[in-house]
Amino acid sequence: MEYDSRNFIQKLFKMKSREEKQAEREASPEYQAIDTSSMTLVIKEGRANAAQLAKAQKVGRVISSIITYSFLLFMSVIILFPFYWMIITSLKNTTEIRASVQTFFPATVLWSNYITVFNTFDFVTYVGNTLLVGIISTIGTLITTILAAFAFARLNFKGKDLIFAILLATMMIPGEMMVITNYITVAKLPWYEFGVGLVNGWLGYTDTIFAAMIIPFWVSVFYIYLLRQNFKQIPNELYLAAKVDGKSDWQFLWHVMVPLALPTLISIFILKLMGSWNSYVWPQLVTAGHDSLRLVTNGLRSSFSTTSGEPQYGIQMAATILVTVPLLLLFIFFRKYIMKGVGRAGIKG
Amino acid sequence: MEIRLKNLTKCFPGNPKKGIPDTYAVNALDITIPDAKLVGLLGPSGCGKSTTLYMVAGLLEPSEGEIWFGDEDVTDLEPEKRGIGLVFQNYALYPHMTVYKNVAFPLTNLRIEEAVKDKDGNPVMDETGKPYIKKRKLTKDEIDKIVRETAKIVQIEQYLERKPNQLSGGQQQRVAIARALVKKPRVLLLDEPLSNLDARLRLQTREEIRRIQQSTGITTIFVTHDQEEAMSISDEIVVMKLGVEQQRGVPQEVYNNPCNKFVANFLGTPPINLFKGRIEGNKVYIGNEVVREITEKDVPDQECTVGIRPEGIIVDPNGSFTFECDRILTMGRDIMLVAEHPEATTNTKFIVDAFVEVSTGTVKCSVKPHKCFAFSLEGDELRII
Amino acid sequence: MAAVAKKKGGFLDFFKNLFKRKERVSADAGERNNWKAWLYLAPVIILLSVFTFYPLINTVVIAFLKDYDYTTQVSSGFTFDNFLTVLTLAGKDASQNLVYKWNCTYDAALGSWVYNNGTELVKVYFQTDVLKYALPNTMIITFVTVPLSIIIALLISVCLHSIKAFQKIFQTIFFVPYVTNAVAVGMVFAVLFDSQGILNYIFGLGTYYWIDQTATHTSAMFALCVYIIWHALPYKILIFLSALQNIDKQYYDAAKIDCAGKFKTFMNVTVPMLSPQILYIMITSFIGSFKEYTSVVGLIGSAGTGGTNNMYTIVYYVYDCLKAPTTVSRGAAAALMLFVIIMIFTAIQFQVSKRRVHY
Repeated sequence: MEYDSRNFIQKLFKMKSREEKQAEREASPEYQAIDTSSMTLVIKEGRANAAQLAKAQKVGRVISSIITYSFLLFMSVIILFPFYWMIITSLKNTTEIRASVQTFFPATVLWSNYITVFNTFDFVTYVGNTLLVGIISTIGTLITTILAAFAFARLNFKGKDLIFAILLATMMIPGEMMVITNYITVAKLPWYEFGVGLVNGWLGYTDTIFAAMIIPFWVSVFYIYLLRQNFKQIPNELYLAAKVDGKSDWQFLWHVMVPLALPTLISIFILKLMGSWNSYVWPQLVTAGHDSLRLVTNGLRSSFSTTSGEPQYGIQMAATILVTVPLLLLFIFFRKYIMKGVGRAGIKG
Repeated sequence: MEIRLKNLTKCFPGNPKKGIPDTYAVNALDITIPDAKLVGLLGPSGCGKSTTLYMVAGLLEPSEGEIWFGDEDVTDLEPEKRGIGLVFQNYALYPHMTVYKNVAFPLTNLRIEEAVKDKDGNPVMDETGKPYIKKRKLTKDEIDKIVRETAKIVQIEQYLERKPNQLSGGQQQRVAIARALVKKPRVLLLDEPLSNLDARLRLQTREEIRRIQQSTGITTIFVTHDQEEAMSISDEIVVMKLGVEQQRGVPQEVYNNPCNKFVANFLGTPPINLFKGRIEGNKVYIGNEVVREITEKDVPDQECTVGIRPEGIIVDPNGSFTFECDRILTMGRDIMLVAEHPEATTNTKFIVDAFVEVSTGTVKCSVKPHKCFAFSLEGDELRII
Repeated sequence: MAAVAKKKGGFLDFFKNLFKRKERVSADAGERNNWKAWLYLAPVIILLSVFTFYPLINTVVIAFLKDYDYTTQVSSGFTFDNFLTVLTLAGKDASQNLVYKWNCTYDAALGSWVYNNGTELVKVYFQTDVLKYALPNTMIITFVTVPLSIIIALLISVCLHSIKAFQKIFQTIFFVPYVTNAVAVGMVFAVLFDSQGILNYIFGLGTYYWIDQTATHTSAMFALCVYIIWHALPYKILIFLSALQNIDKQYYDAAKIDCAGKFKTFMNVTVPMLSPQILYIMITSFIGSFKEYTSVVGLIGSAGTGGTNNMYTIVYYVYDCLKAPTTVSRGAAAALMLFVIIMIFTAIQFQVSKRRVHY
């Protein structure tokens, strides 16, 4: 196909074929005048002796490592500076924050910002909500993911490839398409009314809102894909051996596959938990009007964005730290799992 | 370009905490490779021959010792500044480039040196009276011409527009050689270049390598574990074992006069036959049979290993040496007998010309004295005679 | 997405494969597992049907509904009006009647579009936010942040790959922004970009307004792009670095033997060898930046500076449309258009990359 189209274009524009061009090139007197046998080919540095080259090379090596390290150092400063600034701003008073001469360390270390945050920003409730939502949705995801990944990795059934392809295709669809209808679905539940919270059924509105924040996130195609790849690496002989031992698929899954894929499952658990902690859009929609049901991120943005007059940056930053630190702690303790889990996605397509 | 390796050592440090000792991949190697010669580095896998090659290429840093190209010490130079061509074992052709681009790639990195000429075409001299030299990049036409000429040498002109994965192993190998040759290297290094080829292609390609080397006159080092390969095309071979040079010389010379049991055993197919034997009164015995009388020098009486080349055993009804022949292998021109002998350490093989009639059962033989060696049982198992 | 990037034949073939039924005859488990397998898949299929497939279809339907109100579930038939409204081709007059642009004329004296309803000229108001702000902003964000962040991430990962000492530490540092909350760090950047903030102080810009209510569109976009790039780097660095570590070292040895300098090796060996990952990153970050929303919320806190919606992105617009029951179908129309844009861009990238990506 490719070649044909090229031919067609060539004919259309009377372009010369590669062979013709080459023949033309070789016929030119300049080309024929080139004498390859008398050429002296040298390296970029020219004809220097070994000692000079070795010296230049040493200098070059030092320079390039200086450049590399200073570039990396510079970029790390850029990466880390916001964190540093977040910390010291949270310890400054408002006058110092907005002073015309900025200080790189607070003149007086002020802890009162944090106290203010705990008084105005219902951190504990928000964290409780977030943990509840995060843990239940993560556990649900793990269960559905394990089951589906097992089916895709080990079982044979009609239409397996088709279903898997459809699942993967859903990753391309922007989530907003789904959010619109899901929002309407939640909004028109009979016992629920936004902003009012009418209780008129077996579920209270609190339960409904939590359910709305949890259940749609019980499935993640991406993690199914990740875990399926992991399951596929487990040799088939183990499966056959288990069959010979009279183990059912179910036993094999929970006694062999799951323990073997534990690192991936831990990665998924942590990443998913972090995802819940960071989720903003959907909780913002369904908790509208119910401040006590908010998750941390929503609480964070709404608590301080409406401050009139001078923004209370110190307090904002103190709250931001409270939201960021748990994530950083998680990262410090599970660095290996997080980086492996994230990195695995890109490798091997 | 003469290459000299002086006391070349490569040591991979172990871990004293875990009790892993240092490993010497190459140990105090001293070799001089004469200009325009093809030298084969030969040894079983793990003998340090590839490590040596990579140190010459500059891809590995020697732990000790020096590498000299001619009168230049290149030990600390990076590979790109050494002016070498290297053919990797797996060829390492860039998979995303066409053959043409693969071959042209080194040229795009090089410069051409030209004497600056004035209007009348006379070279411009600098203050010291030397011609003033300027370097410049190669033009597209120049690159094209060199690539096509080199492609002609290795016969890959018709594949220039293909990608490496559309080529067979032999073709890829020739592309790799072209890529190494195209920049007119001072030294050409070949790392097991034939190991990925089938038997027939191997034979053909090694002749080609020989031809190319002779037509270009580039000093070439060739690493292989296949002794036949090395012996058939090298001007000189270096036999290595565990990072230590065992023997070096013209292939036939090394074959005829192995310096120790390892070299004798390593060279030759089928391998040399080894027997338990002894030297007594300047005679070499296997069991009670004298296989060789020593006339050159006086040798003290001792136990030894006796090695006899397969072609050194001749079926001879008057011979004093008796074997039990199990099998007769007909291999075209030659016939090989596989026989047993009580003192032999393995099955004994010997080669008989096709016109000699043989049958299984007891065979009487005699031994050609110059094909029979005796090796000490101690230390490096050096050859006694 | 990952598997999509891997398919060799590109985008169209992927969809061909998608609908090609491949039935595998297997020696072991075989058909006996058939109904059991569906049991294993049941939770995922049910959840996806309820929360993905049904909403997807429903949203498409809503996008075409006329005068749809989700509280009452009432509509008056199908129409393209929602799309036309989003694209400023339909507007409303003072009494909320829909008027098409091709029936209107621009009245310079009144400074607005007018419509002759037979008896008099009425002013028509067009919903300009999408074409004026959301679409250009989304495009700017995409075409500025994606290439820049890929280039910077490539540079950093190549540098990281080339060093031995401190590699692990740097690697960890560069990953930290990944584990932060987009809204929270957006607020930190708001402090950095404050008119009396540290950036103005360091660069001696006085009290330049970057993102405050008086800031210009350009400077707010600049701040937003800086923040998005900062936040996008870690994932890309991680992917590129692990891909770099998987490249056969022999190609670098070959490049050294071929006398290639560092830059040449980078362009001729590293980039082609990384091309599958670059494509993967490009497609995922294109999709991601088309959906940019939380960074605006974090950094700006509202839809724009100076009381306008000039920091709108398409997704921001979609979410704003959810605020009123009657504007939902307009949001659905915008979301559908976003989907189409994403599909087109992904298809283009697959086609363009066909010859440049080496698997």
